[in-house]
Amino acid sequence: MATPSPDDVAASIQAYLSSRGVPPSQIWLRTFMPTIKLNSPIVALQKTALFRVLATDITTSLNKTSVQTLPGNVTNPAVKDQTLRGPITVQVLDVEDIGRSRWSQVEAIEAQERGETTKGREVIRVVPEENASSAEPAATSSGPHKLLLQDASGTNMYAMELTPVNGIGVQMSIGTKLVLRDITVARGMCLIETKAVEVIGGKVEAWDKKWRKERKARLKQMARLGGDGDQG
Amino acid sequence: MPRNGDGPMKVLCVAEKPSIAKAVANHLGGGQVNTRNIQGNVYVKNFEFQYSFPTWGNCNVTMTSVLGHLLSHDFDPRYKIWRDCEPSDLFDAQILTFVEEGKKGVASNIERQARDAKYLFIWTDCDREGENIGAEIRHEALKGNRSLSDPGKTVRARFSNIERAHIINAARNPVTLDEAQSNAVASRIELDLRIGASFTRNLTLSVQPMIHQHFRNKDQGVISYGSCQFPTLGFVVERYLRVRNFVPETFWTIKLMHEKDGIKVNFRWARNHLFDRMVAVILFERCLTSKTAQVMKVQTKPTSKWKPLPLTTVELQKCGSRFLYLDSHRVMQLAEALYQKGWISYPRTETDQFDCGMDLRALVQKQRQGGPWAQFARGLVNGGFSAPRNGRNNDKAHPPIHPVNFVAPEQLSPEEQRVHEFVVRRFLACCSEDARGSKTDISLLYGSETFNTSGLVVLARNYLDVYRYDRWTSSQDLPDFREGDVLEPTEARIHEGKTSPPGYLTEPELIALMDANGIGTDATMAEHISKIKERNYATTRPRARPPRQNNEDDDEDSGPDVPPAAQPDRGRGRGRGRGRGGRGVGGTNTRGGGGTSGVQEFIPTTLGVALVEGYENMGFDISLTKPFLRKEMELKMKAICEGRKTKAEVVHETIEQYRDVYVRTQQRLDALRAAVRKYCFSENG
Repeated sequence: MATPSPDDVAASIQAYLSSRGVPPSQIWLRTFMPTIKLNSPIVALQKTALFRVLATDITTSLNKTSVQTLPGNVTNPAVKDQTLRGPITVQVLDVEDIGRSRWSQVEAIEAQERGETTKGREVIRVVPEENASSAEPAATSSGPHKLLLQDASGTNMYAMELTPVNGIGVQMSIGTKLVLRDITVARGMCLIETKAVEVIGGKVEAWDKKWRKERKARLKQMARLGGDGDQG
Repeated sequence: MPRNGDGPMKVLCVAEKPSIAKAVANHLGGGQVNTRNIQGNVYVKNFEFQYSFPTWGNCNVTMTSVLGHLLSHDFDPRYKIWRDCEPSDLFDAQILTFVEEGKKGVASNIERQARDAKYLFIWTDCDREGENIGAEIRHEALKGNRSLSDPGKTVRARFSNIERAHIINAARNPVTLDEAQSNAVASRIELDLRIGASFTRNLTLSVQPMIHQHFRNKDQGVISYGSCQFPTLGFVVERYLRVRNFVPETFWTIKLMHEKDGIKVNFRWARNHLFDRMVAVILFERCLTSKTAQVMKVQTKPTSKWKPLPLTTVELQKCGSRFLYLDSHRVMQLAEALYQKGWISYPRTETDQFDCGMDLRALVQKQRQGGPWAQFARGLVNGGFSAPRNGRNNDKAHPPIHPVNFVAPEQLSPEEQRVHEFVVRRFLACCSEDARGSKTDISLLYGSETFNTSGLVVLARNYLDVYRYDRWTSSQDLPDFREGDVLEPTEARIHEGKTSPPGYLTEPELIALMDANGIGTDATMAEHISKIKERNYATTRPRARPPRQNNEDDDEDSGPDVPPAAQPDRGRGRGRGRGRGGRGVGGTNTRGGGGTSGVQEFIPTTLGVALVEGYENMGFDISLTKPFLRKEMELKMKAICEGRKTKAEVVHETIEQYRDVYVRTQQRLDALRAAVRKYCFSENG
């Protein structure tokens, strides 16, 4: 079987990535092509391309003309309600569990650091009551979550899970890509539900590492500020 | 069989305490009991009578007792002086077993009485310690009569209470001493001695000098270490630090109230509360924008409040603290006294299920004779009886704690009455029906947000009528809501609150934590708690203010203030830092004066905090203040009892484990000293 031409392969990859919501810029494609073997199966090449682009910062790697971005007034708190058709691709810069106090999250991290969650060495600190009537929301239940999203042009916007979305939580990677469709933006905050968001995945290694490292200190700081969530 | 016409054979019976010996002697001797003093001890007596055993025939019986453990263990005297050896030498040093001065009379009595005895019948309490004491008794008896080690010559009585029929049954059905259980205790004794002594010396030598120097006096005594006390202290300190370090945070919630048919109904936000004001406000605005709410679900279904499980030692201690205002140590003393007098069954048990062969109705019938529960007992006998719930534990040794006989409360001391009443009420509650009611749950959708409320109608109180320690009351009546109803909520508003710290640990919480983390058996938990107080690592004080429920809830709607019942007075609310739902629970502690009511909370001393933090900072592979090392040891004890491990194996493994920890602590003593300086000398930074 003849080796396909680089142009054909590039076009195929571009089409595939576009269909997934992450149309690549020419610059990115040009740096990607030399790294692959042209005669590998095209499906494998597409998957590799997707994996790589999901690990990038979309403000630099995506084709700004083919990808939809957030409208200019999206974060305006004066606008009570607007709907965005999309599809708009965004990446996650930050995620918070706003259903639990920050301090309780700090305590949970510290317990883990003390080795109390290690297998065989677990320390039980809260004893369930025998006659507990209904299922009490345990301190460890998560959500809802508030996210900080960024589109390909660098615009930031807050988002909140109206109902739990699979893949969204404090263990998700920073730099995860989402595609938003038919979403409501209320007072500058995006309300997301399962039907409106597609979690494509991905991670920006450097951001994720930094986020995890700094998380405890940030939570502590936010707790001390009294938990005033007006960061809008 | 009579011996060559010399007369009936002699059987030597030995109980663990003089009171048990006396009770058993009276039951078996049938009124013809001769009491004799012994040489060398005023508490122990020998009771002589005749009894006809099924296999041995008519015998002369001498029933006596010991006073708990007969033998003591200590290191060879050359290790006595601390500076003459390394603390770690004690891991391998020789241990001597001997009879201590105060028990010499007791021991020689056993030896003497054994000389002409054909059989030795052990009547120690049926738990691990009892098996071990039984082995000690046998050890002394053999000195006077080697033939008692022949097969079948030493036997053991199996009994859980000292009620007459039960004792006679035990006398007629002897079993053998459980060597495995005795060995488990022996290994625990050896491990506690080696590990306790070596770590105590090490700890004291590392820290005592600096304390003496700083305060310029020799007030600080030995700083002791115990493999169970330290994790217990660990729990106390951890909670203390948690309370001190707590940072309160503001939260926001949406409160919805709707008035219908003249009734004001409060709804609870399904999201409970959020820690982000912007989000809460945006959601709230969307609710208001949609103007109307729709009833999504109206569901009425039967509900019940379960009667309590049969009573275990841990439960008794927890309830004693919460409802009877007695600390665990005192509760066990009183329970022990009630057992010795024959009113309740053996109070050290993990079993929370009644054996199906037990005649519970007969026990219920006995309680018809009097006491404030008499009428309830009669009700049970007349058809209200219901089989008790089964818990998950069965130690195969003793049944759950229950009343064995009827005794009029006036015959007991006031404190005994409280414990006795609790045991009786609990037992009768176990034999009742669950309380039954009807619960209606209603769900509203307002904007994108869900709000819930529920109503409860208590239809049959059943067990609640005798078990005053639980509460369940009907809520207000709910108006008629139908699924699909659309309404305009009367009032919706955003409410702001603040989280607050949990309370310091109370004794029931501490017991629950020890139990959940597998340290301390039912028999020893109270002791370890006493020890940390004795050693000045922690103190208790009455709880000053009730902590907020759930440490996150500033909910004014936590239910109507239920006035305490007439007898016994519950007063105190929850001791834990979690668990919402003030409804149904006795109101907050309003008895300001006196200070005798209210649960005690644990506050560590500066030394206690320094020790825990010092060891924590050495790294988590040390973990002397964490429960898992001790938990592993206890699991190994169990393995010995079940024949899966030998004493030698367990002692060896555990010593090696602790030796390793010892070496590491030696290398990191600076962490300990730094903590002492920080907390005991207030040198910060």
